[in-house]
Amino acid sequence: MVRIRLFEEALAELYRRGRLVGVVHLSVGQEATAVGVCSTLHTGDQITSTHRGHHHMLARGLEPRRMFAEILGRAGGYCGGKGGSMHVSAPAEGAVGANGIVGGGIAHAVGLALAAKTLGTGGVAVAFFGDGAANQGILYESLNLAVLWQVPVLFVCENNGYTEFTPTTAVTAGESIAARAAAFGIPATAVDGDDVLIVNRAAEEAVARARARGEPAFLECRTTRWRGHHEGEESYARSYRARVEAVDPIDRLERALQAAGIETARLRASVEAEERAAVDAALADAAAEPEPPLERAFEDVFA
Amino acid sequence: MTDASTPSAATRLAPALADAIAHCMRGDPRVVVWGEDVRIGVMGPTRGLVDEFGVERVVDCPISEAAFVGAAVGAAIGGLRPVVDIMFSSFAYVAFDQLVNQAGRLRYMTGGQVAIPLVLVGSAGAAGSNAAQHSEVPTALFLNAGGLRVVFPSTPHQAFWLMQAAIHSEDLVIVLHHPALAASRGAVQRGRLGLGDAVVDPVGDDVSLLAVGLMAHRARAAARALALEGVSVEVVDVCSLNPMPWETIVASVQKTGRAVVVDEGRLTCSVASELAAGIAERAFGALRGPVRRLAVPDVPIPFAPNLEAAVIPSEEAIAVAVREAARV
Repeated sequence: MVRIRLFEEALAELYRRGRLVGVVHLSVGQEATAVGVCSTLHTGDQITSTHRGHHHMLARGLEPRRMFAEILGRAGGYCGGKGGSMHVSAPAEGAVGANGIVGGGIAHAVGLALAAKTLGTGGVAVAFFGDGAANQGILYESLNLAVLWQVPVLFVCENNGYTEFTPTTAVTAGESIAARAAAFGIPATAVDGDDVLIVNRAAEEAVARARARGEPAFLECRTTRWRGHHEGEESYARSYRARVEAVDPIDRLERALQAAGIETARLRASVEAEERAAVDAALADAAAEPEPPLERAFEDVFA
Repeated sequence: MTDASTPSAATRLAPALADAIAHCMRGDPRVVVWGEDVRIGVMGPTRGLVDEFGVERVVDCPISEAAFVGAAVGAAIGGLRPVVDIMFSSFAYVAFDQLVNQAGRLRYMTGGQVAIPLVLVGSAGAAGSNAAQHSEVPTALFLNAGGLRVVFPSTPHQAFWLMQAAIHSEDLVIVLHHPALAASRGAVQRGRLGLGDAVVDPVGDDVSLLAVGLMAHRARAAARALALEGVSVEVVDVCSLNPMPWETIVASVQKTGRAVVVDEGRLTCSVASELAAGIAERAFGALRGPVRRLAVPDVPIPFAPNLEAAVIPSEEAIAVAVREAARV
């Protein structure tokens, strides 16, 4: 969680200094959902993610250096600089990828789970998506397929309260997103997505069930987006939301550790120092990478 | 059954597609079939497969084109080789994000980290008053989308070999088949066809007539009629559209110096347009006159039989265009 926070803050700073190209959507405040879920996965499992997906990728274990390089459009990025912030992908490391289309990766996770089941790999797939995708038809089509096919897929809705610039409640009918999923006969729960231990417990149970019995499950993680829809939005977006009053998921974990009798002050300081050094070094290495050679623009359309 | 002299016992186009899929399913357990009513095999290309391969590998889907195409993209990345029957190819519009933004983009956007060995099968073209939403030939849309391979066999021979080539490909390949040709006859021969091949038949000297799908049938019929008038027409059946068989096309035009292009898509930015532009760029010096395009006018396909027939290039219209071309 500390690594994700520092990684995202480094990007915010780069953006502020005009050193990022493209649009960047940061996940500050949502670290607990990514870490709580990805910490339950094994090698060979796959995740699909969203335009706001750096935290999922880092939680899955992707290298900050190659992530930065991708986001900076450098040759050494995971996609050779052809995906960028919204499309980091590393299938060999269990992250088929982020996706720039809201809801775009959900059906892929169902297919990945079906492939794992058919080929007997024992793998599970996790589809991360936001509350915005809860209003895309493909989510419900995918839930239907997952239940009919009984495939090992976990749907994780990160409900961060805002659908781009609009409060989610203003555009989302019904009791809850989890309740919508429950209508398909899939085990669906809503949890406090800012508590990594709660998310982890819920995900552990769902992933274990998926792995053992090939059953899908649905988790709505209620969390808070601390920053804007994307960096730099203040240049055109008038104020559209109340001050963020969220509890910091990192502070929350620290308090839980303290309650368990663990001395955290030095631990946190050392984790932060270690991660800060690693993130700074990763960024420096990535920034020193060359741009992709021009011929790369014409490659990889077909196999 | 297949005997030593023929690779497939199929004598009609749709069963040749099904036989090709069956060949691939026998050879590779990763090949699976899904889509709408594929067990019954409404459209033909999947008929009978469930009897041999069972319900595990031949899967009926809900009418959720976006999700089952999207799931096929994920399954293909995950190691399966799905053959997805979308019934009418214009139903692909429902799944366009998955087809274009996902299947057509992910290999590129991931820097080549994923392959998407996926086949999408769909009928294309008017077969008698199905009206505009079930009668289109969306080839040009697919070609312009980028990242999608497209083949459109017009004979059982082409169908058998191109379907196998599509299933063996590491890319997404759209296999179009014309509903009016589903029961058309022809033998499957040994000469294997692959992606990027065209079929030249008949060979001729005066005019190159390039056509696809049902239009290729009409072109061959027109060529036979014109031969009686002393016009020697060479028909190039452009059964692979991506890869486009430019070498064969250009060689034919360089020989004849005249080209007529026939397409069942709408004229604006059509396959006919692309072929005409490509010929102009590659073989301008050989041309004795302008390349002529025959295509559907920029209207949807109408329902009433007389109106439907009026907007689709007929054998007679093709013959008229070829005669005009031959005069220069």
